[in-house]
Amino acid sequence: MTTMATNIEPKSLQERLEPYLAIIGPMVMILAILLFMGVAEPTRYFRLSNLNLILLDAALYMPMAMAMTFVITQRGIDLSIGSIAALSGILMAFLIKQYAFPAWVALPIAIMLGATMGLINGLVITRFKVPDLIGTLAMDLVYRGLALVIAKGLVLARFPDLITDVGRGKIPGFVPVPVVIGIATMIGGYWLLKKTYFGRYTVAIGSSPEAAEMTGIAVDRHKIYAYVLMGAAAALAGVMLTGKLNAIQATSAPYFNLHVIAAVVVGGTSLFGGRASMLGSFAGVLLLSMMINALVTLRIEFFWQSVASGVVIVSSVALYTWMQKKDRDGSRGLLAGLMTPEGQKLMRFSAALIGVLIALLAIGALLAGNPVPSG
Amino acid sequence: MTEPLVQMRGITKRFGGVTALSNVDLDAYAGEVLAIVGDNGAGKSTLIKILTGVYQPTEGSMSIAGQPLVLNSHSDAIAEGIDAVYQTLALADHLDPAANMFLGNELTTRFAGITVLDNKRMRAETERVLMERLGVRLKSLDAPTESLSGGQRQAVAIARAVYHEGLRVLVMDEPTAALGPQETARTLNLIEALKDQGLAVILISHSLDDVFQVSDRVHVQRRGRRAGVVKTAESTQREVLGLIVGAEEAA
Repeated sequence: MTTMATNIEPKSLQERLEPYLAIIGPMVMILAILLFMGVAEPTRYFRLSNLNLILLDAALYMPMAMAMTFVITQRGIDLSIGSIAALSGILMAFLIKQYAFPAWVALPIAIMLGATMGLINGLVITRFKVPDLIGTLAMDLVYRGLALVIAKGLVLARFPDLITDVGRGKIPGFVPVPVVIGIATMIGGYWLLKKTYFGRYTVAIGSSPEAAEMTGIAVDRHKIYAYVLMGAAAALAGVMLTGKLNAIQATSAPYFNLHVIAAVVVGGTSLFGGRASMLGSFAGVLLLSMMINALVTLRIEFFWQSVASGVVIVSSVALYTWMQKKDRDGSRGLLAGLMTPEGQKLMRFSAALIGVLIALLAIGALLAGNPVPSG
Repeated sequence: MTEPLVQMRGITKRFGGVTALSNVDLDAYAGEVLAIVGDNGAGKSTLIKILTGVYQPTEGSMSIAGQPLVLNSHSDAIAEGIDAVYQTLALADHLDPAANMFLGNELTTRFAGITVLDNKRMRAETERVLMERLGVRLKSLDAPTESLSGGQRQAVAIARAVYHEGLRVLVMDEPTAALGPQETARTLNLIEALKDQGLAVILISHSLDDVFQVSDRVHVQRRGRRAGVVKTAESTQREVLGLIVGAEEAA
């Protein structure tokens, strides 16, 4: 029998860094925030009470980021988690306030309801073949609508201790309860990813749906599992949010979707599937919470948070795509493309667009009279 | 020669009004490499898909080791010891070689009463099968499969097929099509090794160079029929090419 010594060429620096890329990205950004805040606002940012705030905020997103890591790794997306959180929270609140259910029963019911909503999402995507983007976006409307139908404009408040403990309780001398829950779900997620059929098949499905199919993996069933996990995690977040604020209303949790997707993507889980990093998702959640907290500490208006989150998503996806590009010879830099004829056309088009805009603004400014307050 | 391991007799396959195969016979022997060559549309793939249970023949019969062989699905074929390595290899590139080798067929262990994947044992088995059956050693079993060379990826896909204890027939669909010369040589070595282990290897290839280097007999398909079978050692590329394009008949 022939024995071949398969010679391996020495790995390049980039290849050796590759496995750690997921965690290096967010770590560098976390470091940057720490450095910046260390210069700009060290006393208020590095207080213990502020650290507590950051962790409390991050904890809320950890279960969802864990589950979203699976969904995205399977080349899926779930845009309905904010509504699932709100609807689950509302339903739990009604069970407790209206029907006097004990909290320890109402809480698991809420999570099971979330899982059921996830199941519906999964069935919509796999059975009815509605693309995940449209399917979950539409179900987002459904769940949010139902929450509004049930709760109207009501704010349901004042819950039993169990619920507030889940949202903001503190183990004496230790970290807050939600932080323990959040980190526990992250560890559970890591275990699921590495040690179970579900985790293994999640990566396989995202890496190559055809290969997964050919090796006899039940692709649709494992996709549904991911959405069920996502629904349950969103419901848990809904319960945690309810407990944290000791109140819930139908319009709660509006920013969950993009915040969680941002955290997962910043952490290096690929939107193109197959590449999962639970540790990266954890770092991503921390990063976003630190960033938002930094904006608050710097007294920057709340609405800038949305701008910052969007910029972080776009830049990190662009960065990962650029770093993973195998053949980098063709694109020496971002500016090289501008020299090609196609690039020039695009430049002229952009210039024209901006030119028209400036001209219109100029005309408006020339013809402008005194402002009339509306109303 | 002894009895053929696999016999296909009078295989005809029609798709609606189109006859893809008509009355084809095929014999494959254990410890032999049978090459199947022919132009596009000559019926190579259809023939192989019937052997691997993906398609069912419209007419004709098959047998393996003298027993009648009726395959209703690909898993039936695997149960009978017939498997195929496709050109696409069906690998999940982000998973490591061990995960790929056991994909859909993972080894598990019990941990605190829960069934979990036994990554350690899968890795050890992968290393063993690659070394013992294919003579391939990978430098790193931790790296994702996408970082391996074409030949190494091929080895992982083959290892997945040969890991099945009862494997008797291995079909290889264009294994060298996407490989450079060095990787091609390695893959041909793998095929030799499998043959020496007593497998019946069926090689589908467009490259007559590869076919003449590694095969024992060549089965030529032309327009859905068997145009001829030649012993590689007693034939030339020119003769086989003639059978492929039909020049022999015309002459």
